[in-house]
Parts: sequence; C-alpha cells; structure tokens
Amino acid sequence: MFDIRGRTGKVVLQVIGTVLIVPYLFPLVVMVKGAFAGEGVKNFSAVLSVPGFGRFFLNSIIISAAVIALVYAVTMMAAFGFAKLHIRFREVYFWLLLACLTLPEVVLLAPLFATDTRLGLYDTYWAVILPLSALQVPFAVLLTRNFINGLPNELFEAARVDGANSLRGFIHLVIPLTRPIAAAVIVFTLVAAWNDYLMPLVFLQNPQLQTITLVPQFFVGEFSNDQTKILASAVITAIPEVVAYLSLQRLFERGLSAGAIK
Amino acid sequence: MTASSVDEVGQRSVQSAGGVGGRPNQHRRRTHRPPGLPWILPALILSVGLIYYGIGYTGYISTLNWDGISPDAQHVGTHNYARIFHDPVFWAAVRHTVVFFVVTFVIQTGLGLAFAVIMHARLKLAAVYKVIIFVPVVLAPAIMAPVFRHMFAPDGELNGVLRAVGLGSLAQPWIGQTSTALPVIMFITIWEWTGVTFVLYYAAMTQIDPAILEAARMDGAGPVRTLMSIIWPEMRGTTVALAILGAIGALKTFDVPYLVTIGGPNYATEFLGTYIYRQTIPLDHVGYGAALSIILLVVALVMAVILQWAGRDRKARD
Repeated sequence: MFDIRGRTGKVVLQVIGTVLIVPYLFPLVVMVKGAFAGEGVKNFSAVLSVPGFGRFFLNSIIISAAVIALVYAVTMMAAFGFAKLHIRFREVYFWLLLACLTLPEVVLLAPLFATDTRLGLYDTYWAVILPLSALQVPFAVLLTRNFINGLPNELFEAARVDGANSLRGFIHLVIPLTRPIAAAVIVFTLVAAWNDYLMPLVFLQNPQLQTITLVPQFFVGEFSNDQTKILASAVITAIPEVVAYLSLQRLFERGLSAGAIK
Repeated sequence: MTASSVDEVGQRSVQSAGGVGGRPNQHRRRTHRPPGLPWILPALILSVGLIYYGIGYTGYISTLNWDGISPDAQHVGTHNYARIFHDPVFWAAVRHTVVFFVVTFVIQTGLGLAFAVIMHARLKLAAVYKVIIFVPVVLAPAIMAPVFRHMFAPDGELNGVLRAVGLGSLAQPWIGQTSTALPVIMFITIWEWTGVTFVLYYAAMTQIDPAILEAARMDGAGPVRTLMSIIWPEMRGTTVALAILGAIGALKTFDVPYLVTIGGPNYATEFLGTYIYRQTIPLDHVGYGAALSIILLVVALVMAVILQWAGRDRKARD
C-alpha cells in the first residue's frame, strides 16, 4: 500500500526515517557506551561479582512466574464463565471488574501496607504478587472474554451433548482454543510484572527478596555513584528483556499493543 | 433442572440443526447453559476483592489524620479533601498531568503515524528501525532511569553532543532546572511508548482496503492528500483507543518522574502518583495521601467514561 514511486521520494523518506530514529537510538547508545567507559569490561565483572546480584533475577523470575500463573488461571476460568456459561447479573460483575482497569496502583499503597503488616505479608513475595495479579486480571479477562465469545456456541453444546461437564469443556476446548490470546495475556502480564517498580519498592525491604527494578538503587549504594558500574548493571538487567523481545518479536508487539485493541 | 434434561434438550437441538442441512436453525430452542458463577469467582475474589477492599480502605483512611503507624488516628471528616483544594502542589500536579498528556499524545501520535507510513513504503533497514522503536517498550523505566539521568546531566552525553556540533550555547542542566525538567519527562515517555503507537497504526493501515487507495490515486490524490483524507480518518478507532490509554497512563505516571527528577526541582515534575507517594511514604501523611488517591481515582474513572463516550459518539455520527 501507500507506495512512493520515484527515486527522490524514496530517498527523502529514507532520510526522514533515519533522522527520526536517532532520538530513539541515542539513549541505548548512551547506556552501552557509558557501561564500557572507564574500566571497560571490568565494569561488568565488578557488577556480576557483587554478592546477591543473581538473587534479583531469581526474585523477578519467581514473582513474574507466580503472577503469570495466577493471572492465567483465574482469567481463563472467568473469561469462559462470562462468555459461555449462565450467570445472573453477568454484566454487573463484568463492569465491577472493568472499573478496575483505570486504577492507578499508587491508590492501593496505604491500605495494602496497613493490611500486609497486620497479616504478616509485608516483606514477602505475596505482598507484590497479589496486587500485581489483581491489577492485570481485569484487562486479561476483557481480552479473553472477547476472544471466547468468538468461538462457536455449537462447539460447547456438542461437548455438553456428549456428556462433558463444564470442567471437561474448559480443559478440552477453552484451554487449547485460546492459545493465541493466552500468548498475548502472558506477554503483557510478564512485562508488567517484570518491569513493575512501585510494588517492590514499597513492599520488599529485604534485599534477598528484591527484584531487578530495584537494582539501580542497590548499585548507587554499592558503588557510591560510580556511573559506569550503574550503567553496566542497567545493561545486564536489560539483556534478558531485549533477548526475549528479539526472539519473540511478533508475540511481544501483539501482546503489548493489545491494550488498544478492543 | 436436572442434568439429564439439559442433555436431552441439547441433543434435540443438535439433531434439528442437522435436519435442515447444517443451516443455523432460527427457531431452535436455546440449550440451557450450566452455571458460571463458580468460574468467575476466583477472578472476582482476587481482583474485585483486593481492589475494592483497597479503595474502600483508602476511602476510610482519607477521613483520618494518620501517620500510618500510630494507633490513635484522629477522625477529621472531609478536612483532608478541603485541604487538597487549597494545595498548590496538587494543582501543579494536575497541570503537569494535563500538559504531559496533551504533549505526549500529540507527538507520539505524529511520530507513530510517521513511522507507520515510512515503514509501509518499504524503507531500507525497516526491520532494524522497528526493533529500535520497540525495544524501549520492553525495557523497564526503572532500569532506564539512571541512563537518562546520565544522559541529561550537565556534563552528560546530550550536552556533549550539542557542544561537539557547535551548539554549545544550548547546553544546560536539563533535569536540574524547572523549565526543562518536565519536557525531559515527556521525552522519556514518548521514547518509551512510540513503539506501541507505531505497531497499532501500522496494523491499522494494513486493514485499509487497497481499492480505496487505488481509487484515490486514480483521482489524482498525492501521498499527503491520501494520508490526510483517507488513511487518518480510517484509523480513528485506533486513535481514540490510544487517547484513552494515554490519558489513563498520564494519571498513573510514577516511575519516570520519581526516578529521574524525584518530582523536582521545586515540584516542577510532580505528578499525582509521585505526590501521593511523597505524602504517604516519606512524609507519613497517610490520611492526606489517601484523600489524594480517592480524587485521582475519581478523575481516572470520569476521564475513561468521557473518552469512551466521545469515541463512541464520533463513530455513531459517521
């Protein structure tokens, strides 16, 4: 579509594109260049040899995996219920859920802090896993419900005729057929959980439990503002995300822009 | 109704559907659907439970004068809310949010659209460009914050480049002065989210019927005219969705101003999110922070409803 004919037009567009891309590339160049400044590769070995550095990755993996598992399970069930089963006042429940879409997480700080301390959840993985999952579920359900709505009712009726109860229908129809939308849900849940900063900042004080988004502050303390080490730690923490994106480009692009497709 | 009668009804309806040669039978009795409440319950407990509990609790705290720890919180009624309306920092945060939304939305839309058009024209290195634009979407703002602090520092890379190309007079302490701090926050946000805008516009453009574009060309419309009169109006749905996302995103803004400028200097980059955090955690004004939270929540809901309604209204008029 929209093809530009003629050499001049092509060259002009190429120049415009290149000029526009420079501001996007610049911060990435600054990051990598800064990380190799001064002592060069030694910055990286210094960062990697800090005891407990791997722990941040492990914590992020544990928290993200738990959030994904929880969001996936409750989302698939709820989307199936909303789309294909009988629920009185169905739309009331649905709107209760949708109203949570606009909630800024900062609103939950004070009540969760007070409740977590009372229940002994403060400074545990759960203090981060539960609110992060709760915030992801409404949107995940919206997307998945729309998707399951598009599956033919006859499929579910036929299964019922064959004597399959809802659970069997869920396992043998919903789970396999929702794979494309599940991939999108998993990708945006992963990125949201992996990149979240506020929840770990407030609810995780023990460095043994902290996530990779708290790494920069940790290193500001560790290297008393040696910029090159801090940038090296930024590069190291960014690598898994960039690799994940590069190997699953289409999935990431679809999953992360799903926010605007209704 | 018993399970066996459900099955019977289901069986009959399937048979009758088969009887008319597979055509959907309009008068077929609808099979009775099994109950779904148990299926949505876990999601409701997790999300609605936790979030509404939090909101309710925040609403209660907002009527207290409380530091978050002491057992004797005073009930002050609506005093916290009354204070908000005379709080200059609150109004500054609102102003920043509005400016931030308008500027980032307009620029991001322009850039996303430009990239989408350019990539559709089969540019050289298009795949590489796409990766460069999209990588920021994936990277955590918290991870990038030190990079931006470094880049915009007085002796940072940006000023270095300006001096190197003979624009040294433009070099300035970008994040240290009130006039440029907010633009820096906006730059970072645009840098972060253009990838999503681009991907959506790119996808929306592929959906446009090539026949319409061909017809426009036959009528002598140039590329710019085609873009303005056909492509842009066709993508209105995408633009509205992006506006809603952008507005809610602006209200949620926290990571970037908190980590890059700490809301400063002199509150120049204070947003509602950072202000609530500042009041609740470092200042221990938990009651006041809760009242701010409730205001933020109401604004977010009203905004979502207005934008949703505006988008639908447009569509209906077309």
